[in-house]
Amino acid sequence: MTRDVAIGITGLTKDYGRGHGLFGLDLAVRHGEILGFLGPNGAGKSTTMRLLLDLIKPTSGSATLLGLDSRADSLEIRRRVGYLPGELALHPRLSGTAMLDYLAELRGGIDRRIRDALAERFDADLGRPIGELSTGNRQKLGLIQAFMHEPELLILDEPIAGLDPLVQQHFHALLRDVAAEGRTVLLSSHTLSEVERVADRVAILRRGQLVVVDSLEGLRDVAVRRLEIEFAGVAPRAEELRVVPGVREIAGEGAHFVVAFEGSADALVKAIAKYEVRSIRSRDDDLEEIFLRYYRDREGA
Amino acid sequence: MSVPALKLAVRLRLLTTLLSALGMALVILMVGALFPAVGDSIGKLDLPEGVTTLLGGADYGTITGWMRSEIGAVYGPLIVSFTGISVAAALAGEEEAGVLALALAYPLERSRLLLARAGAVLISVALVAFGTFVGLVVGVAVGGGGIAVTNIAAVAVHLAFFGWAVGAVALASAALTGRRALATGAAAAFALVGFLLNGLAPLVDSIDWLKYLSLFYYYEGHDPIGNGVDGADLAVLGAATLALTALAVVGFRQRDLRR
Repeated sequence: MTRDVAIGITGLTKDYGRGHGLFGLDLAVRHGEILGFLGPNGAGKSTTMRLLLDLIKPTSGSATLLGLDSRADSLEIRRRVGYLPGELALHPRLSGTAMLDYLAELRGGIDRRIRDALAERFDADLGRPIGELSTGNRQKLGLIQAFMHEPELLILDEPIAGLDPLVQQHFHALLRDVAAEGRTVLLSSHTLSEVERVADRVAILRRGQLVVVDSLEGLRDVAVRRLEIEFAGVAPRAEELRVVPGVREIAGEGAHFVVAFEGSADALVKAIAKYEVRSIRSRDDDLEEIFLRYYRDREGA
Repeated sequence: MSVPALKLAVRLRLLTTLLSALGMALVILMVGALFPAVGDSIGKLDLPEGVTTLLGGADYGTITGWMRSEIGAVYGPLIVSFTGISVAAALAGEEEAGVLALALAYPLERSRLLLARAGAVLISVALVAFGTFVGLVVGVAVGGGGIAVTNIAAVAVHLAFFGWAVGAVALASAALTGRRALATGAAAAFALVGFLLNGLAPLVDSIDWLKYLSLFYYYEGHDPIGNGVDGADLAVLGAATLALTALAVVGFRQRDLRR
């Protein structure tokens, strides 16, 4: 495996039967990049991460992390990797401090100052029993433990889940720091909007298979996005909007529309500017449509 | 063995374990205090043979028989089994909750994590057995004396080995399946069936040999409270514990984590 690859995955398969699992995944995560691992729930993101950490064994295929084999050299890999499990579980009766002390001991000790700096950054409550913490506050502990030994490689399964917007910003800043230091991050999410602010590239998984790996710019060009537009007074007719370049679909009636479009939003914005617009809201990107678009492109080619 | 994992596994069950040990000691003390009042009046109960053996002889006329039946036959093994099973099965509980997925993403070998849990069973059961020892020493003294300290120690040692073996059944089930309810149920059922087999199988000549399959036979078959430690019985219980723990290690290393 070449030196500039932090994670190299070759033909990785975990067959759970009845179409569930991961099938023949080939993927390379470069050193120093942040790769967003995207897909709906059940697409195989967590399965991939669990395979990388040797928590489960592959049916076939292999993977290297930091040039080491995911099975044979797992212990050394786990020394150098930080991992945040999806649906993080911690001992509910321990305090945050006690939990982190235990985990630090499993690593043979860590620099406590780094841990404390992280706790401060996230404004984490380390004193209370974990069972009394909200999901977001538990997730902070999960992030602290993943970063506290300053690993070269971070594997984060749905790290943003449950974090409030302010903490998300702190998390994004932390990721940028990590990337600036040349460390590598693989993070998963089931919505594009969560990863688009931080990821350099995005890999999309669907039903256990890789659909596409692309830069965010490439993905935005084909992503179907939706705007929810509410007009005051006179509203345009649906037919009028349907012919605007880039618009793919119009739903709604009267003064309220949901417009799906791809590529630039410019033409659409100019078309509605003639009317009095009460509000515009962006809807979450529909991954399913991105998939369909990629399939269409592939079949067309 | 992972020392941090051992410390945590003991710590998370420590209160329950200490209460079990204390409860054991206090119950034995009460039982001992009752003996002078009721021992003479009950005497040896005239019960069906099967019930008699299940109750450890049901000879309530002597302090040895009284303690053998009241503590040795049922209450002692019950509490020590509860301790061993609950500490061991908590491994599967942590797997089901998802806590193990985090710990095993750390530089910690599965075998070392499992042996840490085995160590926690060892310590927790030993604490309860020690509580039994203290309870018997005091309880017998309060009841008027009459059992040598070496024999009291023999009961505690047999009880500890028994608890370790039952705990090892739970540990192996937890390690192989990752299911807490199954691990608890399998070990409890194994102990209960063993209890009945040891008491009832000897009543029928043709199935008398079934008692050898019971952990209870090696725990009380040669009457430690009357005769002291039986090295061969302890060796069987110890070997079963080691074999089951080895099986647990092998099974746990090879399988996928459930969560």
